[in-house]
Amino acid sequence: MTINAPLPTTVLAGFLGSGKTTLVNHLLRHSEGQRILVLVNDFGSLPIDEDLIRSEEGGTLTLANGCACCSMGGDLFEAFSAVLDYEPRPDQLLIEASGVAEPARIANFARAEPDLALNGIVTMVDAENFEVARSDERMTAILEEQITAAQLIILNKCDLVDEEKAASVQESIRRLNASALLVSAEQGQVSGDTIFATSLSKALSKTDLVKLQHSHKHEDLFERWSYEGKSGFKPAEMRELLNRAGSSVYRFKGLFEDLDKKDTYWSVHKVGPYIDIAPYRTDAVTGSRFVAIGVKGTDLEDILAPLFKVRVDA
Amino acid sequence: MSEITVFKARKIITMNPANAVVTHVAVKEGRVLAAGSESDMAGWGDYILDSTFEDKVLMPGMVEGHCHLMAGGIWNFTYVGYQDRIDPDGRHWPGVKTIEEVLDRLKQIDAELTPEAPLVAWGFDPIFLMDRRLDKTDLDSVSTSRPIAVIHSNFHLMTVNSHSLDLVGYDENTDVDGVAKGGNGTPNGELQEMAAMFPVMRRLGIDLRQLGRTEQGIVDFGKVCNRAGVTVAADLLNELPDEDIEDMRRITGDDSYPIRLASMMNALSQPPEETRERAITIRKKSTDKLRLGAVKIVTDGSIQGFTARVRWPGHYNGAPNGIWNIAPDQLKVLVSCLHEGGVQMHIHTNGDEAIEAALEALEGAKIQNNRPDLRHVLQHVQMADRAQLRKMKQLYVLANFFSNHIFYFGDKHAALTIGPERAQQMDPCRSARDIGVPFAIHSDAPVTPMGPLFTAWCAVNRLTESGKVLGEYERISVSDALYAITLGAAYTLQMDDEVGSIEAGKRADFAVLEEDPESVDPALLKDIEIWGTVLGGFKHPVPQ
Ligand SMILES: [Zn+2]
Ligand SMILES: [Zn+2]
Repeated sequence: MTINAPLPTTVLAGFLGSGKTTLVNHLLRHSEGQRILVLVNDFGSLPIDEDLIRSEEGGTLTLANGCACCSMGGDLFEAFSAVLDYEPRPDQLLIEASGVAEPARIANFARAEPDLALNGIVTMVDAENFEVARSDERMTAILEEQITAAQLIILNKCDLVDEEKAASVQESIRRLNASALLVSAEQGQVSGDTIFATSLSKALSKTDLVKLQHSHKHEDLFERWSYEGKSGFKPAEMRELLNRAGSSVYRFKGLFEDLDKKDTYWSVHKVGPYIDIAPYRTDAVTGSRFVAIGVKGTDLEDILAPLFKVRVDA
Repeated sequence: MSEITVFKARKIITMNPANAVVTHVAVKEGRVLAAGSESDMAGWGDYILDSTFEDKVLMPGMVEGHCHLMAGGIWNFTYVGYQDRIDPDGRHWPGVKTIEEVLDRLKQIDAELTPEAPLVAWGFDPIFLMDRRLDKTDLDSVSTSRPIAVIHSNFHLMTVNSHSLDLVGYDENTDVDGVAKGGNGTPNGELQEMAAMFPVMRRLGIDLRQLGRTEQGIVDFGKVCNRAGVTVAADLLNELPDEDIEDMRRITGDDSYPIRLASMMNALSQPPEETRERAITIRKKSTDKLRLGAVKIVTDGSIQGFTARVRWPGHYNGAPNGIWNIAPDQLKVLVSCLHEGGVQMHIHTNGDEAIEAALEALEGAKIQNNRPDLRHVLQHVQMADRAQLRKMKQLYVLANFFSNHIFYFGDKHAALTIGPERAQQMDPCRSARDIGVPFAIHSDAPVTPMGPLFTAWCAVNRLTESGKVLGEYERISVSDALYAITLGAAYTLQMDDEVGSIEAGKRADFAVLEEDPESVDPALLKDIEIWGTVLGGFKHPVPQ
């Protein structure tokens, strides 16, 4: 990626007590050299481990919670300004949203701002307390919104409930969001790669794209697909292709040459329904290359190959 | 030289019922030595008689119990609102009534700016420019060489020109919520909500909170207050980092600074215990002109933005319920923690469900700890019904009503947000008085313009912008309204022992009026001209 590549931004949502801070601590502890900047908007009982913040050269910024009429969004303005001015420049931005935040609203900042790129919305659900919290009518709408907006849902505290209960919570989640990736976890243990898709980005920057297709290391959650070709695409056409690919393609990243303008490149990233196509300034690329992941058993090849085949033959 | 000054006035309204109207007030060491007739002054020794106000009316300096510091700095931007306004330096800005008038004003400012400066305007009210919406083509006619942004009056929308769109790369490929597109599939210049506006604001340097942090912004805020006859103003949300507190102490400490400023720390910027400790720490940094130590908690959004939390039957037009800014269960924890520590809370609650949650939290806190020393305040508290007011009375919780809403948003509330019945009971001053809930009334400037006499006019007349009376029953008398903008508001700031009335021992803070608010036609209360103020015995005439 070029130096001016936008900062990948992940919104971590979830109701109070769902285990967001535990996950943040886990991700910082296993950051594998990535500098993760955490923007904290939730001040629950559990703080982020101070020693982790220092040891990983990442950092935390706080996002004051006063986003209603009185502050006119001033806090969000300041928080994102601080993030974008942060030195040294982080590799990942992780926003720990407040328990009552609408994650889609926060994610929209990353979609709008050219210097940010939405990596995705991750929502944690507390398997033990979800149904109780949801039965409070004042909370129902926001809890459901957090689930419908997510591309990755982590069902946490699975060790604290029996199988039957876990299954019924899963069913509730599926009724709200059929397409998100749903993973179970105990004590917020989910890998950084699942959240940040770092191996996908790395794979994209390497030359041996094809190998990736059959790689099964790390978690067995995903299957992968990749593509490399000489010809270009039109940005609008790319959006159309990805819309047709649908929600079973969990994540799609790539670079492509503009079909109409030689040596003009675009980056593309799809996560869930969000498709971001932006100008990509570089001279290090030729042709077009894409990588994608989906849940195991998706048959990505069957979905994507026919769509992209059109161009290969042309 | 005498240490005593006696101000002689046509009439002095003291707000002290035992000595309600007098003609003279003696001031010594910044405080009221005596209020009465000239002969009542004699026994205190030699004095200088100041007759500046002999044909004017004095009342206690007005107290704006809920506004924001950025009400001053916002004038850095060009005003393009519908109503006439006067900026902090006294420049009169006539309201602009059509898109053409908006563009003419922008062209005039464009000609005055340096080539590299962005052109930023505020106060634009699309409701009154009904025929069509402002778009990028309109603004391109002003300039294509500099970025232009027109902030709408609700601060949730802006319209920008093509230059601004290019700066942030918004084009036909952009797929972002809030970037509105025209018929041809390209952005039309209208940006909705902060996320879509942020990239433009960042590149044009439109930092709203910063407007309330700069020295110029704080000085201008003082000027805005002075023009409105305000001597005490409460800034209702501030992060209050140490360096800002130092700046505020220095700026307000200057003799020329015309107000006492209370600033409420955001209680949601750190965990509850840290908020409590910080509030207690910064309280000690208070001076006679800067009051710190109380906190603000925002629980829901705004009624006009459909983001307030409302109880059944919900919004009149069927819009979904609003947003919580803090979950009710979390609010309980926070409120108990702060109450136990002796921290005064100002809790923003617009909708009745938010009011209910706040009262639940306060009830729990008060069961756990008896703190008769604290007066907590619900801010805005616009949809409180009489049962909730009875509960407030029972819990001894005060109200600060957003009475300006009746004029600015009342028509919309009746037609769209909450419907005619609940709209006519909004900001229920009369019911609060019936039931015995102490209350103040406020402007929330810059959301609506600061002017306690205007706010009092709203509470007295309850007229909407279209001229209808909204809820005749909830009207209050002029004397009750004058109480609300002086002692009533001082009481919500726990400063009523110090300001809010003119009586021996209190600070010599006065508003100086050209007419008598107790005898003018109540319909004209808002039109009374203000000469200026007196703060701690020093005269602060409105600069001409
Ligand atoms: Zn306010
Ligand atoms: Zn407010």
